[in-house]
Amino acid sequence: MNLLNGLKTLRHVVITHEDIDRAHDRARVQAARLRRSFLSRFRLLWLLVGPGILVMLGENDGPSMLSYAATGARFGIGFFLPFIVLTFVMAIVVQEMTMRLGAATHRGHAELIFERFGPFWGWFSMIDLGIGNFLTLITEFIAIRAGLGFFGVPPWAAVLLALALLYTALMTHRYWTWERITLAIAAINLVFIPVALLTHPDWHSISNALTTWKPVPRMDQNTLLIVLADIGATVTPWMLFFQQSATVDKGMTKRDVGFGRVDTVLGAGLAAAAALATVVATAPLFASHMSAEHFQAAEFAQALRPLIGRLGASLFAVGIVEAGMVACVTISISSAYAFGEVAARPHSLNLPVRQGKAFYSVVFLLAVLAAVIVLIPGLPLVYVVLIVNVIAVLAMPPALVFLFMLANDRELMGDIATPAWANVLASAVVVFLVGAGVLFGISVIAPRVFAAWAGG
Amino acid sequence: MTAKQKFGDSTGLSDEDLVLSTLEPDQLAEAKKQRIPRRSLRRGELLVLWFLRVYLLFMCAVVVYQAWTGTH
Repeated sequence: MNLLNGLKTLRHVVITHEDIDRAHDRARVQAARLRRSFLSRFRLLWLLVGPGILVMLGENDGPSMLSYAATGARFGIGFFLPFIVLTFVMAIVVQEMTMRLGAATHRGHAELIFERFGPFWGWFSMIDLGIGNFLTLITEFIAIRAGLGFFGVPPWAAVLLALALLYTALMTHRYWTWERITLAIAAINLVFIPVALLTHPDWHSISNALTTWKPVPRMDQNTLLIVLADIGATVTPWMLFFQQSATVDKGMTKRDVGFGRVDTVLGAGLAAAAALATVVATAPLFASHMSAEHFQAAEFAQALRPLIGRLGASLFAVGIVEAGMVACVTISISSAYAFGEVAARPHSLNLPVRQGKAFYSVVFLLAVLAAVIVLIPGLPLVYVVLIVNVIAVLAMPPALVFLFMLANDRELMGDIATPAWANVLASAVVVFLVGAGVLFGISVIAPRVFAAWAGG
Repeated sequence: MTAKQKFGDSTGLSDEDLVLSTLEPDQLAEAKKQRIPRRSLRRGELLVLWFLRVYLLFMCAVVVYQAWTGTH
């Protein structure tokens, strides 16, 4: 029996502002579903896409784009192009589960962990999420600061602009409006594609790399750091919490799971295209043997300027600003959703400020604190950015195990519990992430053992 | 504010009718206040969770060490 069905008998129906807004969105979905024309299928898709695209493009954030840029500049195209595609396949496997979980239970990820497994494991997950999200948020402001710095904007003004944009996006008090505004901004992530085209890439080398995974770089600690950073650029704990909560806030149900899958795959496709384009765009730096070891985001734009001109370099910098900005919004909201779920406070983007004081306060307080930290002089920003992606990879396996247990819980999921074949794929993702983490640990603690292994 | 006032007369429904005809009962904000029963974890599941917890704490120490050596 589906446990949630037991909750469906409410004696008195209390309707909130949040319910009315969501009901209006659902009314449009129902109306589109009633029509059987080809165009109405597109309308339905338009109405139901959002969380998947946002989470994938949101994860193409400041540190991620920097990781991809560093990958291209230090290793060129080769092993890493197909490897990045593989990481997005992993992201699809994982994110599809969160979408399904949200549609089936209408509960957020944090809420489900707390209620199903108790506060002990709930708080562990929250601490992982809180630390990871806050560190990542700092790196988003680093990206915004660096990207706008390319255009001569001083750091304090860059940070203020980012906070103002965050405020504007949230003050719509409507999930649907917020989602469409953020999607429009997130589309700017695709600006890395024209930047890559401006470098006149060698298509034969690209197709060769995608099919053969060659040339394979020499495995040392630096290579492993980039491998981990690229994985962390695609699968991170905040994505699980965000997509599930956004699916719930959007009002998706079991009937929408098919469209949710399209949304997730579409998002992964767009994000993968932008990620691959970034590697291709910075690959000429590798070909010209330029040392990009300590480059910040804007320095990549400066370095590329002789190759792709002022316009191309500006587009690159705009892409970095967008990456930081969208992730700043989505990560802050992911934290606020989790906080609201755990503290049993109203948590929805459909809430007016008066009813959602706690929710909106968390979003802004975290963003302001992260923004202030970024302005501290002498902070090792580049190092923070790379390490944040590594932390994301390390924190992912415990988060994934909770996700698998919830998505396999037939009492919660009913007939859309995870099928066996998907569990095999998901388990492979956990083993892969744990293996990558263990290798990283060995490379740090026992570099000689790692070197002997890598050399052998 | 009623649904009609908020969205014009496009729905032609009152707040309650609109909500009840479009949302599943457990989608209502009020319904989410009801708790989901706790599930007891099996020994194997607990073992995996504790292993991953220790793994994460150990790896955090590794990252701190790496960050310290990297910045010095």
